[in-house]
Amino acid sequence: MSQLDRRGFLRFAGVVGLTLPTGIALASCSSGSEATGATGEVSATNPFGVAADSKVDAVIFDGGYGVDYVENAGKILGGTQDGVSVQVTASTQIATQMQPRFVAGNPPDLLDNSGADKIADSALFEQVDDLTEVVDAVNLEGTAIRETLYDGMLNDTTVNGKLVAINYCLTLYGIWYSASLFEEKGWSVPTTWAEILELGAQAKAEDLYLFGWGKEAADYYLTLAIDSAIVEGGHDVRIALGNLAADCWSLPAVQAVLTAMGEAVAAGYFRPGGAGTQFTAAQAQWSQAKEFVLYPSGSWIENEMKEQTADDFQMTGFPAPPATASSVLPATAVHASAGEPFFVPTKAKNKAGGKELLRTMLSKEAATAFAEAKLASTIVKGTVPEDGFGSTALVSQTKMIEAAGADAFSHTFKDLYGFGPDMLVLWNSFLAGDSSVADLTKKMQDLTDAVREDDSITKVEVK
Amino acid sequence: MARRRQLDLDRASLLVVFLLVPFALYAVMVLWPFAQAVTYSLTSWSGFSPDKPFVGLDNYTELLGDATFLKAVRNSLLLLLILPVVTLGIAFAFAVLVTVGGPSAGGVRGVRGSAFYRVISFFPYVIPAIVVGLVWAQVYDPNNGLLNGVLTNVGADGFEAYAWLGEKRTAMAATIGVAVWGMVGFYMVLFIAAIQGIDHEVLEAARLDGAGRFRVARSIIAPYLSGSVRAAYIYIGIFALDCFVYVQALNSTGGPDNSTLVITQQIYTTAFTKADFGKACAMGVVLALITFAFVGLLRLARLATKAGRA
Repeated sequence: MSQLDRRGFLRFAGVVGLTLPTGIALASCSSGSEATGATGEVSATNPFGVAADSKVDAVIFDGGYGVDYVENAGKILGGTQDGVSVQVTASTQIATQMQPRFVAGNPPDLLDNSGADKIADSALFEQVDDLTEVVDAVNLEGTAIRETLYDGMLNDTTVNGKLVAINYCLTLYGIWYSASLFEEKGWSVPTTWAEILELGAQAKAEDLYLFGWGKEAADYYLTLAIDSAIVEGGHDVRIALGNLAADCWSLPAVQAVLTAMGEAVAAGYFRPGGAGTQFTAAQAQWSQAKEFVLYPSGSWIENEMKEQTADDFQMTGFPAPPATASSVLPATAVHASAGEPFFVPTKAKNKAGGKELLRTMLSKEAATAFAEAKLASTIVKGTVPEDGFGSTALVSQTKMIEAAGADAFSHTFKDLYGFGPDMLVLWNSFLAGDSSVADLTKKMQDLTDAVREDDSITKVEVK
Repeated sequence: MARRRQLDLDRASLLVVFLLVPFALYAVMVLWPFAQAVTYSLTSWSGFSPDKPFVGLDNYTELLGDATFLKAVRNSLLLLLILPVVTLGIAFAFAVLVTVGGPSAGGVRGVRGSAFYRVISFFPYVIPAIVVGLVWAQVYDPNNGLLNGVLTNVGADGFEAYAWLGEKRTAMAATIGVAVWGMVGFYMVLFIAAIQGIDHEVLEAARLDGAGRFRVARSIIAPYLSGSVRAAYIYIGIFALDCFVYVQALNSTGGPDNSTLVITQQIYTTAFTKADFGKACAMGVVLALITFAFVGLLRLARLATKAGRA
């Protein structure tokens, strides 16, 4: 090649080779641009000043509850705010789909961050608006939203004083069973772990298992253990666990529950093979085949297993029981929290629209429509009639939360610090009978200690 | 010597189309992401914010003390060790059977029905890996799975409700079995093509000299195929280090006691569920280094054998 040729070649290569990547680098640096968006006039009926004829971009997790409830609220919103339209995007891959949008600085106006592929909530805390103004606003019927909600529904998402998200769907955690089966066998609902073990023996006599589990959901038993320990030992236990205290898994209340569970495992009360069974298949062994009698889960279970529940199953729940009859909290205390966290990202183009959509969802009309369609309650009180729209599970939820009153509690440290995947492994081994209570305790403590000692992880103080 | 040609339109367009455009694509799609991943691995970027705080080598030092990650590395290395040997071994045996394993009278040919075997053994490779994984997850199901159904029917009652993917003893082996099942057909077809490239006279001469099928396979086919085997080994080795699809379909949570957790799965969870892209990038860099080391070792081994022969 002649000199000229080579130089021309190099120059050309340099231009192509260098400009393309820098172009991309520049594009990815433009993420700092401020998104203000047009705002309309703030008024009593338009508390956040959403602009007329604006579009609201909502990304909604398409899981057990679908996305139609947000579309429905969007229709209501279209009627109350001039020409505002809501564009709902359904997603089951929230983290992977939203990651580039957050980095590029054009996140949606409203995000329902849920499902297996959700963004770790803690990654969003700094990037979302404080939603206190939404709960302080009045709903479409004119009542302050804060007053229409069940007690304590905002605790989980209040992080160091900031309301980072609003969980929309009321979720009660407990143990679920078939009321018709219990009636047929003449069993009564256990109120302590000692009674659960007795029930295990009775079930075994009938060739039934007491419990069962699926490999992706072994940690439902962790939630059950935590709930039972809190009822047994009171709020001190909740605070110790939530603040990742040293030796928190060795507290007497926690150990009493874990020991009872270990006895159930050793006595063969668990349906074998759970560590290799897909979790909905395992749940069908309970709700369809009735091979085991109790299943710990959240109240989404009825909706999740709708297609795979035996006729006249009469799915009913009761709160996680304490270890003994002399527990600190009454046996009616229930783990009540809310699921489906809705975030309004700070950099969203139409934040006012996102908040207005959330306000609409929290109003009576949309919340009642949700309860009726999904057979589950939102965090808005009084949207479920006596007959629970014909659902025994929904009726038992209302009963549980009313019976608990001020003794409802919740905890979030498991999801907050991302313990899920690591704990799951431990619980699969424990429930399969491969590790002892002492093993389990030590390994859970190791995980907890590691997070507590890691200064790069922002802690949320539990009170 | 011929006069050097000037850079005319013809030559310039050739350069652009066959060299610069591919190079630019390569730079943007491969080299640039590599550089980005290395840069991110030195930050504590969550993946969801514009801030990328620089933390130096912290991510790497944390990885060295991270028992779960080290377990994932061990599992990936185990796959790298076992998967290629088993897959290529079976593929080689099958390839020999359908090409030269036939009757000893008449011309050298495969066993009867070899065309049929060739087609059906390629089938699993045609099915997308994720489907293979999901199908096998059902086959392995403890209570309703085909495998335990067959085993308990023939009287092996010990397999009643046995969790193949849920027991530490069998989870990895069961996973490897699925990967082998899915890949053997492809390598078999590769080896068949290579065997068909061997001059038939060589094979026939060997047979006239009294060499049996096993001897032919060992002393004639194996040396002729060494190039293909080496290429296949690199290819399947890199696949074994990835292996994301199969393990994710069979045990998305890492398996009992993390016995089937591999590096790529750990990268995925760290990035997307733990929102720690910085550390995930560091894991990616470690995986890339392992891959380079693997390919480098194979090349060294090849140089050594060449030198040994000379």
